[in-house]
Amino acid sequence: MMTLPTTPPSDLDLLQQMMTGDEDAFTQLYGRRQAGVYRFALHMSGSQSLAEDVTQEVFIVLMREAGRYDPTRGSLAGYLYGIARNQVLRRLEKDRPFVQFADWSADAEEITPAAMIAEGDPLGDLTRNEMIQELRDLVLSMPPRYREVIVLCELHEMSYLEAAAVIGCAVGTVRSRLHRARALLIEKLRAARGRNAAAEEVKPARCFA
Amino acid sequence: MNCDDFEAVINDLAKKVIMDADLRDKALSHAALCGRCETRLTDERELTSGLKALAFASAASTIEAPSHVEASLLAAFRGHSAHRAASYVSPRAITSRWLYVAAGIAAMAVITFLLTLTVSRTRDPAQQPKSEQAISPPVAPDKRQEPSVKAEPPTGRETKLAVSGLPKTAAFKRANQRANQGRAQLRANPQDDSTTEAEIATDFFPLMNREALGQLDSGQVVRVELPRSALMSFGLPMNMDRADERIKADVVVGNDGLARAIRFVR
Repeated sequence: MMTLPTTPPSDLDLLQQMMTGDEDAFTQLYGRRQAGVYRFALHMSGSQSLAEDVTQEVFIVLMREAGRYDPTRGSLAGYLYGIARNQVLRRLEKDRPFVQFADWSADAEEITPAAMIAEGDPLGDLTRNEMIQELRDLVLSMPPRYREVIVLCELHEMSYLEAAAVIGCAVGTVRSRLHRARALLIEKLRAARGRNAAAEEVKPARCFA
Repeated sequence: MNCDDFEAVINDLAKKVIMDADLRDKALSHAALCGRCETRLTDERELTSGLKALAFASAASTIEAPSHVEASLLAAFRGHSAHRAASYVSPRAITSRWLYVAAGIAAMAVITFLLTLTVSRTRDPAQQPKSEQAISPPVAPDKRQEPSVKAEPPTGRETKLAVSGLPKTAAFKRANQRANQGRAQLRANPQDDSTTEAEIATDFFPLMNREALGQLDSGQVVRVELPRSALMSFGLPMNMDRADERIKADVVVGNDGLARAIRFVR
């Protein structure tokens, strides 16, 4: 006898079950969405403790005010990212003098014996890891309004539309902010690498070629 | 394509987003000719690859919230569910609660209506036209429309003892007006001629200074009798042969009990 594969319940289904007090539904929903929310908070803040707090707060808000989610206005994931964004910005504003950008880089990747064995191209890996770490720090050093579009559109690979729903602005605003943010990142990368390159400023310039 | 046009599509070009083939070719050919734009494109491509590597590293390293976050959230969820269950109210209880609420609202509405009615009745006399309210004669309520002077049929000898040069406040003018109206009514009802006697009244003479008179908003006219010598006090002529007789006078008494003005009636 052949059994048909069952489709996993949607986020909305799980949310509705959760609202009736179904703990399994909440666990499933949490397992499905917590990593994205946590990573977003971590990319935005660079602090693991802040990311944990934000993740916890996001799901507490969800369980208390689940009825405020309107499916017609966007996906549940976007709704959760929106809550996370607000929480992160609030915390960053509150803890501005105390935020440490190096928090993540120091202990995020635990050094295990297996990690100490070089495989394949160790020099390439080192270069790649250095570049990743450098980029991570540069993203964290950007102003929040540019940082969030980089995190959402580049690191979380959201579309402009989804990012606009999370941030609560127009799609065109996301596009222009992302353009400016990327230019800013390139400037910072150049400065970090000490590349002079005739002190080129990354700004649109008219040429007659 | 110029550099501005190139700048508009450089992100899509670097990220290899699906775009119009013609536009893409134009942008690439522009980058081949413009050194600055070529450098920009190279930088953008490097940044794109770096960001992709960062995104991949983040996703591959299974960065997620620690297990204690889930544990505390589950505890919070259980507590929240228990609280919600404890605060669950049956539909019947909700219905009866609504009935109580509706009864309360109705009671409030009735009380508000009664209070409004009471207040409006209390305020009504103050809101009446001042011509009727300001100086009310001490007569029965059904005769409020009558003037403060007792009616007499108009006669040809009706004269007005005008006193010039004395201040006339609005209240005195109203009092005179009411008196004149009363006389006019009497003219319109000649059948009362036989039973009533016409009166002749002077203007009101102020008994206080102008400032004190200005404060008079309302009061009453009281009919009194005075010795005829009182006429002389106000510069009015007096027949010395009748000095021992008395003369009627209307005194305007304010709400504070002070006499404000007087007029003589004959």
